[in-house]
Amino acid sequence: MDKEWSDGELARRIGSGTDIQAEAELFRRMAPRIRLYGLRHLRDAAAAEDLTQEVLITTLEALRAGRLREPEKLTSFVLGTCRMAVLDLRRGSQRKERLLQQFGADLQAPVQPSMPVLDHEQLTRCVQNLKERERTVVVMTFYDERTGADVASFLGLSEANVRVIRHRAVHQLRECMGAAV
Amino acid sequence: MSTGENADAVNCSNPIDAAILADYWLAVLPGPEEEAVEEHLLGCDRCGERLREIIALAEGIRSVAREGSLRMVVSDVFLKRAAEAGLRVREYAPPPGGGVQCTVTAEDDILIGRLAANLSGAKQVDLCICDERGVEQFRLPNIPLHPGASSIAYQESITLMKAAPTLKMIMRLVTFDEAGGECLLGEYTFNHTRSLPGPAAW
Repeated sequence: MDKEWSDGELARRIGSGTDIQAEAELFRRMAPRIRLYGLRHLRDAAAAEDLTQEVLITTLEALRAGRLREPEKLTSFVLGTCRMAVLDLRRGSQRKERLLQQFGADLQAPVQPSMPVLDHEQLTRCVQNLKERERTVVVMTFYDERTGADVASFLGLSEANVRVIRHRAVHQLRECMGAAV
Repeated sequence: MSTGENADAVNCSNPIDAAILADYWLAVLPGPEEEAVEEHLLGCDRCGERLREIIALAEGIRSVAREGSLRMVVSDVFLKRAAEAGLRVREYAPPPGGGVQCTVTAEDDILIGRLAANLSGAKQVDLCICDERGVEQFRLPNIPLHPGASSIAYQESITLMKAAPTLKMIMRLVTFDEAGGECLLGEYTFNHTRSLPGPAAW
């Protein structure tokens, strides 16, 4: 493919018939984004993978049937489907099985972007080099999994102050790890 | 080559701040802000890539914290969580002005010095790590203090202490008077005996 289709073009191509190339592009483009949504809401890689499959199938089903009236709003449709699917998954719905039986043969292996691998020693140095309060906020937030209110209470600070400290620490850590802030 | 709205997915013209992505990952954004971030992420690979970096950073911090190598003041929640995770916590609590005999074994995961002091009214407290002669080697300035706390839990690097020879380490908690002069809150001596087999690594 010489150029990438816009979301609208992609949706129209899939809706106009069996365009294998467009369907493959839908999977390539959307799968990593849906997986991230799943990781954030389900906190489990396998569940995020299930969500990705279900959302892609539902989207494909809707596009093939021409049910997406505004093809340019493909992203909004996928997001809405993600939200519904997360609710379904949380309710332990059987819908996934039904969809997998109906569309499973059409499923292509979604692209699996790998998580960045960080230099552990460097990260240890970067965390150690934070100021005391920043390090405490970072560890209490990401390791202890305490809320902003808990951290604020422990440190005798306001929640807004904790948020500022957390933001500053995230930027410093990224910079220290060589990422663009 | 890319065109249309998908061009933005590759070269984001309005990237989400990394700290906001971290807040999104932590699920602390207000509803409308979270919705806006999600709408953006569903159409933007560049910001998705940066969110993956944030997730890796969050996981990395957890891993660094878990291995007990950070020299820092920790909360009781941290120690409780470590114990629940099956980590072995070794804690020594010398009295102010006193000392304690201590060591680390191969099975230990976390090493804590519990330093009791009258911390009420102290606006800033520094923790000084000194050698056996009392010469300061390392300082944690302005350590976090829980209001009403009567002690602090200092985590010494377990990696460092497993490699350490037999030694004496002195810790001091100091605060500052209005003129900026240091006032000693407490001094604590740790007489560390190497009990691991083999020579020390430093």
